[in-house]
Parts: sequence; C-alpha cells; structure tokens
Amino acid sequence: MSSATRPSAAARPPASADALLVAEAVQKTYAMGRTTLVVLRGCDLRVRAGEFVAIMGKSGSGKSTLLHILGALDVPQDGQVYFGGAPVFAPPGRRRLRTTALDVLSAAERRRIALRRRAFGFVFQFYHLLPELNVLENVLLARMVGTRVLAWPAARAAARADALAILERVGLRDRLRHRPSELSGGERQRVAIARALVHRPQILLADEPTGNLDAENGAALLALLKGLHADGQTIVLVTHDPGVAAQADRVLLLEGGRLRTV
Amino acid sequence: MYKLFLTLRYLRKRRIAYFAIAAVMLCSAMVLIVMSVMGGFLDLLKTKARGLLGDIIIDNRSYSGFPLYDEFIADISAWPEIEKATPVLYSYGLLRFSETTQTQTVRVVGIRLADVYVVNAFKSGLYYETYYPGTTSLAPQAQPRVGFDVQQTIEIRDERGTRVGTGPRPVLPPEYQAALERSWAAGLRDTLTPPTELTAILRGAGLPEIVGVYDLVDDHGPPRFTGNELPGLIIGRDIIAERLPTAAYKRFWAYPRGCVVALTLLPLSATGTADIPVKQPFRYVDDSRTGIYEIDSQHVYCDFELLQKLLQMHATERVDPETGRTIGTVPGRASQIQVKLRPQVAGRPVRPEAVAQRLSEHYHALAADPRFDLGFDDRLLIDRVEALTWEESQRHIIAPVENERRLVTILFGIISLVAVVLVLCILYMIVLQKTRDIGIVKSIGGSSTGVAAIFVTYGAAVGLVGALSGAALGIVFVHHINEIQDFLTWAFGWRVWSREVYSFDAIPSTVRVEDTVAVIVAAILAATLGSLLAAWRAGAMQPVEALRHE
Ligand SMILES: Nc1ncnc2c1ncn2[C@@H]1O[C@H](COP(=O)(O)OP(=O)(O)O)[C@@H](O)[C@H]1O
Ligand SMILES: [Mg+2]
Repeated sequence: MSSATRPSAAARPPASADALLVAEAVQKTYAMGRTTLVVLRGCDLRVRAGEFVAIMGKSGSGKSTLLHILGALDVPQDGQVYFGGAPVFAPPGRRRLRTTALDVLSAAERRRIALRRRAFGFVFQFYHLLPELNVLENVLLARMVGTRVLAWPAARAAARADALAILERVGLRDRLRHRPSELSGGERQRVAIARALVHRPQILLADEPTGNLDAENGAALLALLKGLHADGQTIVLVTHDPGVAAQADRVLLLEGGRLRTV
Repeated sequence: MYKLFLTLRYLRKRRIAYFAIAAVMLCSAMVLIVMSVMGGFLDLLKTKARGLLGDIIIDNRSYSGFPLYDEFIADISAWPEIEKATPVLYSYGLLRFSETTQTQTVRVVGIRLADVYVVNAFKSGLYYETYYPGTTSLAPQAQPRVGFDVQQTIEIRDERGTRVGTGPRPVLPPEYQAALERSWAAGLRDTLTPPTELTAILRGAGLPEIVGVYDLVDDHGPPRFTGNELPGLIIGRDIIAERLPTAAYKRFWAYPRGCVVALTLLPLSATGTADIPVKQPFRYVDDSRTGIYEIDSQHVYCDFELLQKLLQMHATERVDPETGRTIGTVPGRASQIQVKLRPQVAGRPVRPEAVAQRLSEHYHALAADPRFDLGFDDRLLIDRVEALTWEESQRHIIAPVENERRLVTILFGIISLVAVVLVLCILYMIVLQKTRDIGIVKSIGGSSTGVAAIFVTYGAAVGLVGALSGAALGIVFVHHINEIQDFLTWAFGWRVWSREVYSFDAIPSTVRVEDTVAVIVAAILAATLGSLLAAWRAGAMQPVEALRHE
C-alpha cells in the first residue's frame, strides 16, 4: 500500500498521554437467570498508536466481550474506555446498557456511532459479510455508512478508489463482482479486512481472524496483518493461538476476567 | 447512503417482498374499483334523474293528480326564470302486442311530446326520432311501409360485395325518406345495431340505410301508409327490443314501426276506486331508452290529452246530483309538472331552490284564487302540491347511495388492513432473517435509527410500488369492467351486475383523480405503518447480540 492512499501514523492526530486507546477497570457481567456470570472483573489496557497488541485467552474467557467493549459495540457495567483521551461511555451511574431504536437521540450513542464509523475497523472470526452484496459493495458499505445520500455522488469516486486500492492490497482486485458465497474462507476474511480498513480507521480490532482458516490461509492473513502494522496500522488482535499471538509487539493474557502481561 | 442502498438491495433480493407488494396492489385496486363503481353509479343516478325529470318537479304524490296545471303553467311561463313547463300524467296499464298473445303490465306516461323534448333529455333516447327526425308523433297515424321506386334501379350485392343482380330501389314514404336522407347527410349512422337484409342491400348500393324495422308493401308497389289511423305510442326499449351483449338492441320483424299494440287502462273514480277498464289500440311509433332499466322495461308514453281522457281525468261538467243541472266544471288533472329553468336571468345564475319555493307558493295560492271555483277535493289535492328541485326529489335515492359509497369504502379500507398485517409479518420475518446483517451494519457504524429507517423505507417502497400498480390495475379493470362482466357471463353464465337490481343496464364507473390520489396515499401510509413494528425491532437490536445470532 502506498503512503498516498494510507496516511502514515505520524499524520494522525497525536493521542493524549501517548495512548490511543485506554481501558480502565472495565467490568462486564451477564445476568443468567438468578446467577450472574462475571466475564470481565476489571480490565486495564493501554494501546499506543502504531502498536500491534495481541490478547490471548482460553475460549470463553471473555476476549470477544472485551474487544466489543473496546470497539464501542458493547457497554460495560463499570469502568471506562478512553479513545484519544476522551471517554467512550457515560459515567457508570448514567450509563444505559442497551441501545434503543432511537439511539441518535443519545449523545453517548452518537459518539460511539461516530467512533465505529471513523476510528475503528472490526474483523470477526466468522467474516460477517452481507450475503446480498458483492465484494466491492461490501467494502464500499463501510464508506456509505458515514456519508449522506446527497453527498454520496460526490464522495463515490474517492470511496471507490480507496476500496479498489485496499482490495488490491488484500489480493482481491479481480474478484470485485463476486458474492461472499462464491469465495473461500480466506478470501472472505480478506474482504472483511478490506472493509475494516477502507475508512482508514485508527485501530483495527480483529477477533480471531485466523480462527476459521487453515494453516496456509492463516499464515497468509497473518502476513497481511504484519504488513499493515509495518505501514503504521495500530492493531488489537484477539486469539487463543499462541503462534498467532507471537507475531504481535505485545501479548496480554485474559484470565479470570483480568488482563496481565505475559 | 447505506440506508437507501440496502433498502433497494433488499427490495430486489427478497422475493418475499413481492407478496407484500401484491397484497398492497390488490387491496388498493379493490378499494379504487369499489369507489369508482359506486361513484359512477351515483353520477349516473344524478344525470339520469335530471335527464328524466327536468330541473324542477311539481308533484302531489297522489294517483288522483292535481288540477289547474294549465292555468299554473300559463302563469309561470311569464316568469323570466322558466324556459318551459309541461304536465305529465302517470298511470298503469296492460300492454298487448296484437300479433302475439304477449301481455305485460306497464307504467303509462302521458306527455306532450313537443314540450318534453324541451324540458328533459327524452328526445335523445328515442331511436326512430334520431334517424328519422320529425317523424315520431303521438297523434293518430297510419303505418308507414317500405315500397319500391321503380324509376331507380340499384345493384344488389351479397355481404362479400359481389354483385348478384339488380332491382328497384327500396324507399320509405316521402316524408320518412326525406327525414332519413337529412339525418344521413348530417352523418348519423347506426353502427351498433346489427345490419338487416335491407340495410345490407342499401349499404352495398351506397344509399342511406333504412335502419330499424319496417313492414314491406305487399305488392312490390310504391311506399305508402296502410291501416287505419291510431294514436302513437312510444315504448320502453327493453320491452320491444332485445339487448345484446354489445350494448346494441335487436328489434324484431314481428314488431315493425307502426304495428298495432293495445293498451288496457283502469280509470280511477274520484273516490279512488277502479271502475271499468278501457281498451285503446295504438301504433308503436318509437322506442325510448333512458338507461335506467326499471324505466326502459316498464314505461310506455302516449299523448297527455288522450291519456287524460281515457282515465277520465279531463275537464268535465259538474252536475248537481239533486237537480241534474250543470253548475260548473270539474277541472282536468295532471300527476306532475316538469319545469326547465333558464341557466341565468339578466346575467345572474338562477337558483333552483329559490324558484322551487316560489313555485310551491304560487300553486298553493291558486287554491284560493277566486277565478277558479274549486271543490273541496280539488283544494285538498292542490294543498299537497310541492315543487322540488330534481336533486331534492331524488334525495331519497341519492342520499342512501352516497352513504353506501362512504360505508363500503370504509369497509374495504378495513379489509385492506389485511395487507398492512401482511406487510408487518413479512417485514418482521425479514428483520429476523437479517439479524446478523443488522449487527454487521451497526458494527461498521450504522445507527439504530438508520437501520430502522431502512425498514421503514422498505415498507414505504412496498406501499409505493403496490399502490401505483394497484391504481393502474384498478383503472384498467374499471375501464374494462363491462367487458369483464360480459366475459364472465359468456364463460360461466355468471352475471355479477344485475340490471334488474341496479337499474342501469351497464356497470357505471367514474375514476376520480382525487379518489386515486387518496387511495395511493393511504396505501403508502398503511404499508409504512405496517413496517414500523419491524423497523423498531431492527433498530432496537443490540449490535453484539445481533452479531452472535446464529
Ligand atoms: N449475551 C450473552 N449472554 C450471556 N452470556 C454471554 C453473552 N455473551 C457472552 N456470554 C458469555 O460470556 C463469556 C465470554 O464470552 P466471549 O467473550 O465470547 O469469550 P471468548 O471470545 O473469549 O471465547 C462466555 O462464557 C459466554 O458464554
Ligand atoms: Mg470469542
């Protein structure tokens, strides 16, 4: 990827206290009938810009839950996440755990929507592509989300150029018109990465991206992630595979609802 | 942008949406058809009522009628608002065709033909008067027969146009032939009625076609009148002719113009009891079609003065029962006076209600007028006389139909809620199927409101497409409603529209722009409303839960 299409880390706004994403004492519990399942007991995390952080943990340890909270998709009962120094959630006392259909009326929700649109890019274990859309449309959708209908005709050309560049990078430039069902698992995951990057997010959040891939495809994907990191992309990756985690700058272990360094 | 994009994509990719569209389409078409047919029925009812009755109807709703009609008409004819007024007499009778034993009860209407031509639309419904202008008369007359003009030889061709020979030209008696040639020159053609042998021959020779049914002279001689002179009778078209599915009428050779029919009447005495029946032969001079089946299958029209005399409602001498001497006159009576108004007087429009009010008052004043020495009974009859505008006089028919139209529209609107429920179910189903996609859209920054908007737009789009195609379907259906009915009758012997029940012989319909727009708007709103629940459900989905959805 050329520096013309992707801004370098230095071009991004400086993060306050040099940490781009900070989690402080994040707690998440699920009510299971009479008992409550405590998944996160108090997680602390600091991710600097340009870092490649891996979070390891057994299946069911709460990795996905933590990543969803970091990516503003889920709301913790307690604790706070700061992005670029600004809190992502309302103070615990005034925090609503569930979104409503009229989420645009809430300032906190609006902020999280803006973060998802611009700051974060998500990659999931199960790809999560829209089956009705072809490869290019799946990628472009992430740009449409932040653009008004009337602004789209003007923004379309740039969005398309970015989408094509990123698809080139992930090696799917010649598969634009294919449906997700016509692609292999590895290809689907690369489309998902393209979608997660097309809006140039400050952090790429990847939830077991290699979990469903064979060794060869997994390695290729990992190589892709490393390449992105080398270009300055901040990455937070969740995995239960030590081999995958070993590629990161820093590995954290999620155990008993807490994060610790290995 | 993603909302519009996904809405359009889901519309194209989710086949199940077509069912919702079809439901909306059928419901809007249904409501529009109902509104149009009922509205057309109403419009027709109004125009027909007016065409039959004139602008104002003066009546006392008594079989005995009321006196002083001519004196009244003479008075009001001087009013600037009045164009023409004419008395009408109604009675019942038995009609018998002389050639057959066929007998039928009819409503006998006594009219002054020349006046009625002015007052209402009667003339335009006459058949022979249209093609032979000026020949229809209620006065005594003989039967006109088609004869031959030996001076003129014409070529006779068969239906394929091949010449088969020559012969003398068939013609009507001079005044009838002249009338025919006048209307022919004016471009009048009877294209509906199936051709007869006579019209086919004349058409082949390029001569004016003698339409209708006439008897032929017996001896190949010149045209002439035969038989004794009898008063004319105009007969309702559905009595004398057969209606074809093409809306044309077929007249029978057994009933040529001028054939003899007999009418038996029951005069009522002053006390209201029927005395001795009287029988009067007539000649069938024309047939009339108002378009209202009840009238066209029951009414016959004869001369007012003649009917009055037959019913013994004409002016007679009043005899003192004790002395046996004449002490005055019993005035003649009429059942109704029909009035045609001028549209405006001195540049100002005439208000029928106001004129009707003044006409009533004037009539009541006649009862006390010293000019006429009226008996007690006659005064009573005049007291009950009332002048009504055609709308008021038909209110008892029109108002219920108006109510019915509103009611049926509401009922069908309620039935259309089925479509709303269907839209709701289908959209809800799509939302459930698309749970994971909703999670994905939210994870890349779609707001809940935006996701909800996708489904509201979806519902509105279903409504829009359904309503527009439904309106188109409804309009096409209404446009061809009589063909569809004729087809059903032909294919299954199944007649939906009964002429006997609904008065009119064709299904009326008027597609109004405002009705169409209202139906379209209502359908779009209803479909949008139906989508709200599903949209709310989609919007309220938690992104993480949606993503974890299997
Ligand atoms: N919506 C939920 N309701 C109840 N329990 C949940 C829910 N989501 C996750 N969990 C539970 O939280 C725990 C952590 O889940 P997850 O974050 O997916 O773990 P991991 O990604 O590390 O495998 C699991 O035990 C899971 O069953
Ligand atoms: Mg997980």
